[in-house]
Amino acid sequence: MSTVTAHSVAEPSSLSKTIGAIIVSAYAIVTILPLAWIFLTGFKTPTDAISYPPKIISEPSLEGYVNLFTTRTRQTPDFLASLPAPQTWYERLVRSRNMVIAGPSKVVPRFVNSMVIGFGSTFLAVCLGTIAAYAFSRFRVPLADDLLFFILSTRMMPPIAVAIPIYLMFRNLGLTDTKLGMILLYTAVNVSLAVWLLKGFMDEIPREYEEAAMVDGYTRLQAFFKVVLPQATTGIAATAIFCLIFAWNEYAFAVLLTSGDAQTMPPFIPFIIGEGGQDWPAVAAATTLFFLPILLFTILLRRHLLRGITFGAVRK
Amino acid sequence: MSGQVGRVLQFPRWLRRGPCETVAMTLIGLGVVMLMQPLSLDLYSYSFVTILVGTLGFVIVSHFPD
Amino acid sequence: MSTLAERAVARTPRRLASRLGGLSDRAIAWLFITPSVLLLLAINIFPLLWTIQLSFTNYRANRPNAPLRYIGLDNYRDILADADVWHAMQATAHFVLWSIGLEMLLGFGLALLINRRFRGHSFWTTMILLPMMLSPAVVGNFWTFLLQPQIGLFNSAVAFFTGADPSSFQMIGDVALAPWSIIMVDTWMWTPYVMLICLAGLRSIPDYIYEATEVDRASPWRQFWSITLPMVMPFLILAILFRAIENFKMFDMVNLLTSGGPGSTTEVASITLKREAFEKWRTGHSSALAIILFVTVFGAANIYVRALDRVKQR
Repeated sequence: MSTVTAHSVAEPSSLSKTIGAIIVSAYAIVTILPLAWIFLTGFKTPTDAISYPPKIISEPSLEGYVNLFTTRTRQTPDFLASLPAPQTWYERLVRSRNMVIAGPSKVVPRFVNSMVIGFGSTFLAVCLGTIAAYAFSRFRVPLADDLLFFILSTRMMPPIAVAIPIYLMFRNLGLTDTKLGMILLYTAVNVSLAVWLLKGFMDEIPREYEEAAMVDGYTRLQAFFKVVLPQATTGIAATAIFCLIFAWNEYAFAVLLTSGDAQTMPPFIPFIIGEGGQDWPAVAAATTLFFLPILLFTILLRRHLLRGITFGAVRK
Repeated sequence: MSGQVGRVLQFPRWLRRGPCETVAMTLIGLGVVMLMQPLSLDLYSYSFVTILVGTLGFVIVSHFPD
Repeated sequence: MSTLAERAVARTPRRLASRLGGLSDRAIAWLFITPSVLLLLAINIFPLLWTIQLSFTNYRANRPNAPLRYIGLDNYRDILADADVWHAMQATAHFVLWSIGLEMLLGFGLALLINRRFRGHSFWTTMILLPMMLSPAVVGNFWTFLLQPQIGLFNSAVAFFTGADPSSFQMIGDVALAPWSIIMVDTWMWTPYVMLICLAGLRSIPDYIYEATEVDRASPWRQFWSITLPMVMPFLILAILFRAIENFKMFDMVNLLTSGGPGSTTEVASITLKREAFEKWRTGHSSALAIILFVTVFGAANIYVRALDRVKQR
């Protein structure tokens, strides 16, 4: 191995490495720029955010975040003067815009909805997916290929194509705009991914482990719980994160089937409005908070990303 | 042994899974092109039938022996 | 080690556990698969069958008490003779072809460069991957801000490099530019996807194949066409098919970026479907369109699974 020539493909020359590094890092910076801009916009005042030409550096302000979490009403200077002095920094900030805080905004309930629906559907999808994947991986299931294709094809369905009858079905069952309805719906969409991904992970666990356990007197189910599940922990965790990301990001079903109580963040964010159109610093603040968990997950998932986007077909 | 021979005789080469799947896939592809081409409204009108036949054909043909 | 599993077993009531424990493998297999299949039947297949049924009727979801009439294939005939829907399909084709072309070019190029394994390549790869993990809807929403004619970052950046007036063009409001704005945002978002799959393809090529051509003194250009590209091809096809299916049914990003406008210049198939179903409430009519889209995607999904099998064999 040490005799590989300098221009071998196995080990590119240092010049070609440098060129690669420059182009790739330049592309990465251009790609990140829009995200960085949104992050910055969250810390601008509404006037700075929509200034012409766009300001790269502006005085940092938390007005976007304050506006995101509160609803405010505009008041006359006379009325404002009659009020007691503001107690907190955010009240002072709002007061300086001739407004008073009327109450909390809907962002916290929407965020909670996203979390409840995300975690609920992920938990169900991973539970169902784990056992189904185990069955597909270990037993001779008749028509296994057809069943697996059927399971995958449900994920390929255009959401809008099934949205109409799901809308009608939910209307008849009283599930419209309920968290339970959304959890069931997202579970169904995620279970296909979970089965395919986990089947890939389970196939990699040697059968000998369970067989040895069964020789020792375990039943098949005990072997599954005590031997296979602990071995599959990484795979289950990676699958769970993929399901969570899907439920977190989903928009089409959410916008058509929820309007209030069960509304998640994606349909909510575009409707954060201030006086005269979208309140961009507040939208940017919401977008930043919404993206942060995904950033964390992407880093956690790095090694399994490829599996996730190819339904477990490409392993490395 | 004789069963195997019988099977091979039952399924001539052109009815095996591989070539049939290729035909079905071509039909699906053709249908998709017909659906989205900007040239002829008539081709567009017959695109769905083509895709449907290709897809159903594929589902059937993929169960033929190799 | 297996405390969690032990607790899970311990919690199962003993009688149930022993009864389940005695089950045959065949019974366990069905017991394990049935819940998933039932859920999918209830929430995906049942609605699909309902859509098929509705597509033969004149049903309108906003008038549930109006008499229901079966009108045979009329809905399908209408849609397949409708020049507006045909134009929506062409808009979809324009979007799909250009976005996939650009994503392939950029994604494959980046993968080739990253495969040189320079120092820090894994950090930059993670950076590049970020956009594809985000919510397409939220992405579409904030790009409307970046693409604003005067206050937006994009127009200013273009103005900075070309010297044009930033307010002289509108990416979203202009009939000629709007289709390109959805292509641009899609390319920004999904190039990493293609890159990641191409990178897997490149890494699956064993070094000894290159070393063999090294002996033959093949030029890098010939190496690329005779080894790299053919070896990566199954991966590339996988990426193309998946992106094609996804972009064919693209809804969320386009709905928030342009919502089909201006006019109907960026009205891709899913947007037409949404307008028919949830704005005009022509449920029967839109169900027929939904079935047409579904069958197309289903056909493509069959081919996609074949492509998956081919990659798996590697």
